[in-house]
Amino acid sequence: MIEESDEAIALRVQGGEVEAFGEFVERYQEKLMRYARKFLLDPDDAKDIVQDIFVKAFQNIQSFDASRRFSPWIYRIAHNEFVNALKRRQAHRTVFTIDFDTLFPHLVADDTADSAALERDTRATLERYLDKIDVKYREPLVLYYLEGMDYKQISEILQIPVSTVGVRLARGRAALQKAAQVV
Amino acid sequence: MNNEPPNTTKTSLKQGVMEAIQKGRIRMRPRWHFVLFSSLATLGVLIMFLAVLYIASLSIFFLHDSGAWFAPRFGGRGWWSLLQSLPWLLITLLIVFICVLQIAVRRYEFVYRRPLLISAAAILAIVFIGGFAIAETPLHRQMEFYAHHNELPPPLSLAYGAPLHMPAPPGIFHGTVLASVPGGFIMNDQNGAGTTTILIGLKTKLPDGGDFEIGDDVVVIGDPVATSTVRAFGVVDVGE
Repeated sequence: MIEESDEAIALRVQGGEVEAFGEFVERYQEKLMRYARKFLLDPDDAKDIVQDIFVKAFQNIQSFDASRRFSPWIYRIAHNEFVNALKRRQAHRTVFTIDFDTLFPHLVADDTADSAALERDTRATLERYLDKIDVKYREPLVLYYLEGMDYKQISEILQIPVSTVGVRLARGRAALQKAAQVV
Repeated sequence: MNNEPPNTTKTSLKQGVMEAIQKGRIRMRPRWHFVLFSSLATLGVLIMFLAVLYIASLSIFFLHDSGAWFAPRFGGRGWWSLLQSLPWLLITLLIVFICVLQIAVRRYEFVYRRPLLISAAAILAIVFIGGFAIAETPLHRQMEFYAHHNELPPPLSLAYGAPLHMPAPPGIFHGTVLASVPGGFIMNDQNGAGTTTILIGLKTKLPDGGDFEIGDDVVVIGDPVATSTVRAFGVVDVGE
């Protein structure tokens, strides 16, 4: 049986079938819990934040354009919630400042798949040294290697140019290697 | 640490969300809410954009009016005169508005997909070209006329007076040729306050040639040598 697409479910929810929203919770809660744990590096409040993400998604579902993909939309909500959580946690520190990566055009290699072995290695290193990486680079690394998103989807979630996604991934990988060497 | 087993977490999370939905504790916002918000945001951006265009065109209009816009045609001294005449208050306002506009449009996909520098350059180019086109229309000339006759409500009327409208720096004269005299011509001032005799010498720079006719709109850069008499460093016809 062909699984109903996220976008078709969204249309049903928008049409008033609120029960169908349960399907989204089923499909995305594990992914979002994993994303929350990796991004926030603190499993304590992950469940509450993920619950808030679903609440926000339900409240704003009418703003979703069903001709587009649903996953970047819900991940964008998740990104905003995580950033807010980090801001609350670091009340007196600025989490994001002016980002010079988004300022200039970058010539970065396109979204090409790494070899399976290289990707496996990077994923293992990432799981191990994630807490050593700056949040700015941690998020694209998590989305690319652990959530399987492509450059375009990450660009939509973080609302940054696709070339900047490439720059952050390259810098994130370099930071990972450095962290692994230091340890 | 959260010691709940994963499956319990999964069930309780779904139950929590669905229960809140069914009991009406969380409600779906209606579509019109987003349509309204999006329309207001777009309207805000549009108003901001028009304000930026207006300020840019007003700055260009003031520079045209004083003649400073044409001064760089006389080289280094002209550039210095232009720099002295720049309406800094308007330019500061313009920079602030452009920054706000840039932040406001970052939410649109066609903007955030491109590096900040490219979208900023695109905004600057549109503002400059648009501002120049508006400055060429009679809009500001008419508005200035109404403002000087107290027929324009504030804050619009304030835009056409000091301190936004900076006077031409000493040494720049903009007016119309009234009569030819040996070794120069007589011109009236742009504001019609009086006349000035312009002396043209061998060293006077004449980028358009020296054939000035009565009625020509000219900008003169030069030094006063007597009351209402100026030895021209350069003269340019700005009529066309």
